[in-house]
Amino acid sequence: MDTLKVRDAQEVEDAVRAAIANEQPIEIVGHGSKRTVGQLMATNAVLELSALNAVTAYEPNELIITVQAGAPMADVLSLIDSKNQQFAFEPMDTAALLGTTPGAGTVAGMIAAGLAGPRRIKAGGARDHLLGANAVSGFGESFKAGGKVVKNVTGYDLCKLLAGSWGTLAVMTEVTLKVTPRPESERTLVLRGLGDVVANKAMTAALGSPYDVTGAAQLPGSALRTTGGALAEIAQPDQSLTLLRLEGITSSASHRAQSLRTALKSFGEADLIEDDASAALWRAVRDVEPFAAAGPRALWPVWRIVCPPAAGGALGEQLSRESGGEVIYDWGGGLIWAALPPATDGHAKALRQRVEKIAGHATLIRGSEAVRAGIDVFQPQPAGLAALGSRVKRSFDPTNILNRGRMSRGSAT
Amino acid sequence: MTILMPEPDQSVLARRDEIIAALRKIVPGEGVISSAAEMKPYESDGLMAYRQPPMVVVLPSTTKQVSEVLRYCHQNGIKVVPRGSGTSLSGGALPLADGVLLGLGKFKRIREIDFDNRAVVVEPGVTNLAISQAVDHAGFYYAPDPSSQIACSIGGNIAENSGGVHCLKYGMTTNNVLGCEIVLMTGEILKIGGKAAECAGYDLMGVITGSEGLLGVITEVTVRILRKPETARALMIGFQSVEAAGQCVADVISAGIIPGGMEMMDKPAIHAAEAFVHAGYPLDVEALLIIELDGPQVEVDELIGRVEAIALRCGSTTCQISTSEQQRLLFWSGRKAAFPAVGRISPDYLCMDGTIPRAQLPLVLRRMNEMSEKYGLRVANVFHAGDGNLHPLILYDANKPGEQDAAEAFGADILKLCVEVGGVLTGEHGVGIEKRDLMPEMFSDIDLNQQQRLKCAFDSEGLLNPGKVFPTLHRCAELGRMHVHKGQLPFPDIPRF
Repeated sequence: MDTLKVRDAQEVEDAVRAAIANEQPIEIVGHGSKRTVGQLMATNAVLELSALNAVTAYEPNELIITVQAGAPMADVLSLIDSKNQQFAFEPMDTAALLGTTPGAGTVAGMIAAGLAGPRRIKAGGARDHLLGANAVSGFGESFKAGGKVVKNVTGYDLCKLLAGSWGTLAVMTEVTLKVTPRPESERTLVLRGLGDVVANKAMTAALGSPYDVTGAAQLPGSALRTTGGALAEIAQPDQSLTLLRLEGITSSASHRAQSLRTALKSFGEADLIEDDASAALWRAVRDVEPFAAAGPRALWPVWRIVCPPAAGGALGEQLSRESGGEVIYDWGGGLIWAALPPATDGHAKALRQRVEKIAGHATLIRGSEAVRAGIDVFQPQPAGLAALGSRVKRSFDPTNILNRGRMSRGSAT
Repeated sequence: MTILMPEPDQSVLARRDEIIAALRKIVPGEGVISSAAEMKPYESDGLMAYRQPPMVVVLPSTTKQVSEVLRYCHQNGIKVVPRGSGTSLSGGALPLADGVLLGLGKFKRIREIDFDNRAVVVEPGVTNLAISQAVDHAGFYYAPDPSSQIACSIGGNIAENSGGVHCLKYGMTTNNVLGCEIVLMTGEILKIGGKAAECAGYDLMGVITGSEGLLGVITEVTVRILRKPETARALMIGFQSVEAAGQCVADVISAGIIPGGMEMMDKPAIHAAEAFVHAGYPLDVEALLIIELDGPQVEVDELIGRVEAIALRCGSTTCQISTSEQQRLLFWSGRKAAFPAVGRISPDYLCMDGTIPRAQLPLVLRRMNEMSEKYGLRVANVFHAGDGNLHPLILYDANKPGEQDAAEAFGADILKLCVEVGGVLTGEHGVGIEKRDLMPEMFSDIDLNQQQRLKCAFDSEGLLNPGKVFPTLHRCAELGRMHVHKGQLPFPDIPRF
């Protein structure tokens, strides 16, 4: 397979134009850390963006950073951290889950995948933090979307489409993201041994409280047996953990943690974990460490299910009971990570039936080529929406030259 | 009127009676308005300098009626302009002479309140404020709060991606909407998103929000609601220079504090507001900041102290801190009444809406003062200081020959300046017709073509709200062609307005 390593936006444009002229679909890659996610692509050339790795502008006081598409996520996170800032959407590092090089991954790759962490419920997702982008469409044209200020309603918000489009609409060459101050301090309340449905109720109560909860997650006891690090330190064998995070200035975080602990008394006595230990815990949740590719679940397919939060507990319990798998609830149950025992279709059929009933949707994030070849990796859409989605795809990429087939089986789009 | 609209289609106008009769079959009774007198209230939105009676007004009350109206118009090549409460300040709901004005005012039901999922499902004609009022008893609210929230509809908020004082901390409409039911121009009804935090597939909800009624007609909305903060307190801080106030804003943010609201007024705005509401604003300062902290009591009390210390370091000359809810509201009263207050000191004014990087504020204000001298018109300024969103109010008298044109030219110069310093043409009011012809200041032909291609994916005939947002109308088939060359108008035979 040909790999073309481009050095600037003009070379990206040239490469896409050449691909159009040669009718040669191309795969767009940063570090390749998420290449195994999606349908098997009908591409035979690679456009590699990792050399577009500069930080173009960082204005801490303006709360924005502009970077080239291939800028390493790890470097950018460390840069903004040096100014006590963060990406509020808490982007996950997929290395543990997908078994790729730790720390690898580019900024545009993170945006294209649209994966957000536990703070999603409070701060929004990747799509909410992409203020502007320069990109090359499947017409071989460089275009600009959005701007470089936090408040902007000029023209269509094309950035929203680019986020989460897995490189199927355009090749981003530069992105501007919103940054926010890093909280001064954090506290995590830990409830132990709650079943999924009860834990879901506890999380719903916490998120509906006035205490400004910025993370609500439930981890099953069985998954904790197999993980090391932050989780192993606080876990007891076969005991589930319900985690609730409070962030802000120290006095406030402590005060709210105490108030929330009192408010949740009926769910049990909560332990309190502070600052660095708390942060480590949430990194483990964010990166879905209990289902790490290096662990005993390596061969298990892993699904990412998004549903109305209050429905999460019952759905997760049903899924794990029926399949013998394990689930992690994030966003108070709005996001479920499910690791299910190997099956020919990765449990796609049964799982989607359950998910559709509660108006949710599911994406297979980790799965073998054989499984991915046989199922819809992304949630199939109702006919009208699917047709509109195809028209949107064609409006950016009429000859389907970019990441052909990644989001839709049969390589139509 | 200096803005040109697409030429009315005479063949459509010739069929007016037939069209009205067909629409009456779909929406019976008082749902179709066709007399000149009754259509009068619909001939403009909040941008009242531009008026145009529509061909006919249709007020459906069900999604099915919306769908049938759109399908009929699509099949018969009739343009449609959707309208909520008509509070748009950029002319987004300005009717077309040969178009149907589709009012969604009858969609007023709150369909579902779901506290467990922190979501509310409403019809598009429900006002922004009514959503918060409906969940207030349980301690919840809907965060985006445009100044017109008492009147503006949630459907219109989605069309314009409206903002407000709370945007900096709580985001704009787009960050607080979860899903919608939308009717395409063909009459097709689609459900996008729902109560889950993310849509499946492409983020269509994200692009519909802020699309100014050009992509589809929204008939149902699901929004996210938040728990009300435990308390809120405000500081009112005066400075002897705009630079010092700007520095204070930057220092507050770099100290890691994101206030619930952070607003600035310049001297002319302070004086106009004080004369109007007597809020106790200091009259001997050049700039006034109102900073509100919201959250748990313990946090707010501590942050008030931190902000006060930052303000002192930046050279504040006055600082009052609210000690009661009544006093907090008094601080805000002048800011919230700034527009009518300025209306009292000038027969007319134009309210502009651009966003700049905050650091450029002193430069932009200096240049605005130079422009003020050049055009011989006064300008008063209120800003959403936290996010750099400016609202210069250009004062003029429409009865004096040439003043309205001068005011519009002044306004255009301000918006061009916003783009020149790295900002954008509009922060919360939308492009509409008001800034339509300035779009090339910010976007190249290629950028605009890409946006119009997206429009084609939703509305291939360009019948929904044409003449808004884009300075040049393209036919979809032509936009779909490959290899359009950079910088060249690809189809010179298509008329610019």
